[in-house]
This record gives sequence, structure tokens and C-alpha cells, in this order.
Amino acid sequence: MKKMQENKRTEGIWIFGDYRNYFQNRVTLQLIAKGKELAGRLGTEMTVLVLGHQVHQFAMEYTAHGADIVMVVDHPALKTYQVETYTRVVARLVEEWKPHIFLAGATAFGREFFPRLAKRLKTGLSADCVSLEADPEKGWLIQTTPAFGGELLADVITPEHRPQMATVHPGMFKERIHDKKAVSGIVYPEVQVEADERVQLVRSKPELAHKGNLQDAPVVVVGGRGLGSKENFQMLFDLAECLGGEVGATRPAVMAGWAEEHRLLGQTGKSVKPRLLITVGTSGAVQYTTGIQAAETIIAVNQDPNAPIFKMADLGLVGEGRSVLTLLLEKLRRRL
Amino acid sequence: MNIVVCIKQVPDAPSIRMDKERMTIIREGVESIINPLDAVALDAALTLKGKQGGRVIVLTMGPPQSEEALREALAAGADEAVLITDPRFAGADTLATSHTLARAISRLKPFPDLVLCGKQSIDSDTGHVGPQIAEELDLPQICGVIEIHLEENSLIVRQVSDGFLNTLRVKLPALLTVSRDLTVPRYLPFSEIERAFACRDIVRQGLADLHLEEGEVGLKGSATTVLRLYRPPPKRKGEFLSGSTEEIVESLIKKLESLSIIDEEDAGE
Repeated sequence: MKKMQENKRTEGIWIFGDYRNYFQNRVTLQLIAKGKELAGRLGTEMTVLVLGHQVHQFAMEYTAHGADIVMVVDHPALKTYQVETYTRVVARLVEEWKPHIFLAGATAFGREFFPRLAKRLKTGLSADCVSLEADPEKGWLIQTTPAFGGELLADVITPEHRPQMATVHPGMFKERIHDKKAVSGIVYPEVQVEADERVQLVRSKPELAHKGNLQDAPVVVVGGRGLGSKENFQMLFDLAECLGGEVGATRPAVMAGWAEEHRLLGQTGKSVKPRLLITVGTSGAVQYTTGIQAAETIIAVNQDPNAPIFKMADLGLVGEGRSVLTLLLEKLRRRL
Repeated sequence: MNIVVCIKQVPDAPSIRMDKERMTIIREGVESIINPLDAVALDAALTLKGKQGGRVIVLTMGPPQSEEALREALAAGADEAVLITDPRFAGADTLATSHTLARAISRLKPFPDLVLCGKQSIDSDTGHVGPQIAEELDLPQICGVIEIHLEENSLIVRQVSDGFLNTLRVKLPALLTVSRDLTVPRYLPFSEIERAFACRDIVRQGLADLHLEEGEVGLKGSATTVLRLYRPPPKRKGEFLSGSTEEIVESLIKKLESLSIIDEEDAGE
């Protein structure tokens, strides 16, 4: 495959319009807002790419949320999101239109589809970015992604290959207000669509165990490795009940089997924005804290006064998780 | 059924330390483990082999000490181990890594029926390499698999993706990345590890063995570059308290009251 920068200058910012579960999945709208800002800085336009069957209403939605252009490929074979089929179609569009930057939400599908697409286009991709900036002089997209076990952030660039691609963690940017008067250009590109028959969806049903109320809960209590045992972790459920909240967990707590995977918060799990988040025995690796940074108030309990979690807490308490939880529960129960 | 499992040796998460001045990770003296989800993939491969027969080949790219991870995989029951190692492979991004691994897989005879990877690694956490190997080898891919059932020339797999439980049929050969929920890695008796270290051969392959050019691999074959590496700036400057458990719990309760999460206690109680 030829590198596209050899034939033509690349231009424009593309966003993959993931409209599934529209009212919960806001990441496309967040990317439109950010993409618009980046397009302004780079002096270019922002296009939302929508693939599917009978998806014109989303072209209108994306226009109202700020898209300059909406590119629609409407075809029965695109009805369900399927990685190989989507890769074929989108790679052809990219080769023809040559966008400069291409972004997608780091949903499960985005994280399965974009690596394959980037590979076919022989370009770079950064995963699950928490921030994006533009360097107008060099035309670079500066992609900030957690690195090295979440201890650090890395600013990554794709200096020569195009498009510059990134998946972006949901909840990092604020969507624009729906504007009924907004106008955009709608493009129906001519592109060959053929389904890849090697993977067939037999059935698909909502996964109730993975829904939970975690993302809507006003109070979230989270436990990490520092709690030391499943028994200690169980106290969080009691605390959540007292406070009308839900329980979240860090990766080590999930790996230890103290909590189910759907309670996982952070980079590879969910992001929450409760009024109050209480985090106990969590050291504060970025992989976890990206999932809680939008909380209004954070109270952290940790034995180690130097734990990084205290840097992002509104109230930091140096103490041992188990004894603090035991006494707290005792006092709260006395009040009920 | 011949299965290739791609594994990665990663630093054990709690032992990561940073050189604060140079903004790099201190690798010396850090315990290494098989990336947990890769261990799940290996276990799945061994389970499938148990049902179906065939061979399990483990593959890793990394510095020479990655051999330890392969020895552990051999002890767990893998039949063959391939170590892809060359100083020129260093600094690879996922594009270059997947290219090198895909080349090594494409040279296996016979070509595997199934390639398994963990959904992501705990150190870099991109989840790119699995789908990118699939792309280079023109294999269908399914990521985040929680169940695998064998059919003739195909697999029925289940995947949880964006709130849906999907059941999919995929034709072999294929590549799957596995999720934590698939199976629990089996416990390794120490004697088995010792045995694997003692007597099994590991195939080593470098740049020339894989018929690769220097410009295709490592840093040179990468599309991305790291501009800066830094500690995230502190977001909030809050109150900070250390004291007895009693004092800590009292201040916590006051905070809950001030946020109206709980009602203030009546005076005199």
C-alpha cells in the first residue's frame, strides 16, 4: 500500500460517528466539540463519518452539535458494526479523501476497529487518549495517553504518517449545546461496500450484568489493593448502601477477584462523575484516576501519606482502610 | 488444532518505580510476570488443546530475559516457545511490534488455526497488537472474548462489547483477544517451572531469521514518537489530615454532612 502523503496533502479532521445507544454514548458529541476546536486551530474543517443503514437522523444530530460536514455511507451491509467490513469501507474513504487527523471514541468497538484500520493505512495510533492538542505550525496532533502502568502521561505524535489517529477516552471533553439552526454540508461518497463474511453475528443482547448504576450513582465508593482482602472490600458495599451509592474497583481489586469486572473504573473500565467519590486503599495510578477525575468531590483514605491519590483528593485522610471503614460504618449505623 | 499464543513479559504493577529526574521507569530489580490477560489466553489455548489435540506455540517479542515468560508458559503445558529478540526491535510502537510478530507467525509451518492474545497489556494498555496482527495476516478478529466453543472449521465465541453480549461465529483461521472473564489461569507448581527451565529448548529469532529490514522494525519502523513523558499535574489541592482512626472518621463524617450526603447529627446526641 502506498503512503498517502506521497500523492496529496492531507486535510481536515475526521471523527468516527458512533451513534449506537445515542443517549448514553456521548463520546462522539464530545469529540465533535474537541474536533471543532482543533479544526479552528489548524484552519481546517471537521467531518463526522457516519456508517450504517437508515442513519440520516444522526447526520442531523451531528450537524446540530457542531459538525461542519457529515459524510454518510448508508448501506444494509453496514447495519451492524463489524470490524472487517467497516475497515474495508473506511480505509477506501480515507485513501480517497486523505484526512489529516482521524479520531474515534475509545469504546469497545473503537478500540477493536481503529487498530485494524490504522494498520491497513500503515499509520500510527494512540490509545485511549485523555487529552488532545494541535500544533498549528507543524500540523501535529499531540495525543496525551497514560503510559508505563499509569504512572506517567505521554505526549505522542505521529510526525510523518497520515492520518494521525487516536482513540479518545469517553468523558474527557464537554459536548456543545444542540443548536437547531446549525448548518452543515452532507456528503454521500461513492464507495464500494462489501461485507466480510468470515465473522457472523449470531445474536446480540443487552448485557445486564454490565450495566449497573455505577455511572449514574450520586455517590461512588471505590476500593483498591490496599484493602488487602475480599472481606475488607465487602465493607464498601455496606458503606455504599448507607450513603445511597455504588461500589467501584481498581484493576488490582478486580484482578484479585474482590469485585466483578463491570465495577472496574479507569482507563480500561468506566468513568464516573458522582457528587462524591470515596476511594480507599487506592494508590492513585493514572489508569485508575482517569476514571474518577470528573467526580465533584473526592475523599481519599490511604495508609501511605505519599500516595499519588492524595494529589487529586479534596480531602485526604492518612489511615488504614479496614479500621477506618469499620469505625465509619459503626458510626453511620448508629445514626440510622 | 494448532494455536499460537502471543505473550508479553511485563513489570509486576505494584513494584513499578520511577526515576524522578530522568522521568523513566526503573527496570532493574523489578519483578516481571506474564501479562495477566496473556496468561488467560495461554490457559484457554491449553484447554482447547485438551479437548481437540494439536499443539500450543507461545511467542514473545522482547529482550533476552523475556525467556523467563516463555519458560513459565512451557511449564504450564505449551509445546513450543519462540523468542523474538534483537536489539533492533527495541522502541517499537504497536505498528512495528505487530509487523514483527505477524512475520514470525506467518513463517510457522503449518500456519496456525488460531492466534490468541490477551485483550491488552497492563504496562502499555493499548490493545492494538492483537487486531493489528490479525490485519497483517488477513485473519478475522474478535476482541474481548469471554467464551470459546469449537465447531467444525469455525468457532462460536461470546464477547461483551459496549453493553451488549454478542454471540459470533468466526471462520478459522482467526485471531481472538481474550478478556479477564474467560478462564482463571491455572496454578503452576514450582517443580513444573523448574523442569521447564531445565530441559526445554526455546527457538530464538532475530532480524535476519525473520527476513526483516531494519527500517521495518523497532523505533525506525514506528509511526508514533513520544514527545514528552511526565507525571500528571495535580488536579486538586485539598485538605490533608493524618491522625487517629477516630479523628479521621470524624472528619470524614463532617465532610459527608457538609456535602449533605448524610443529615447532620442532632445536638445533644
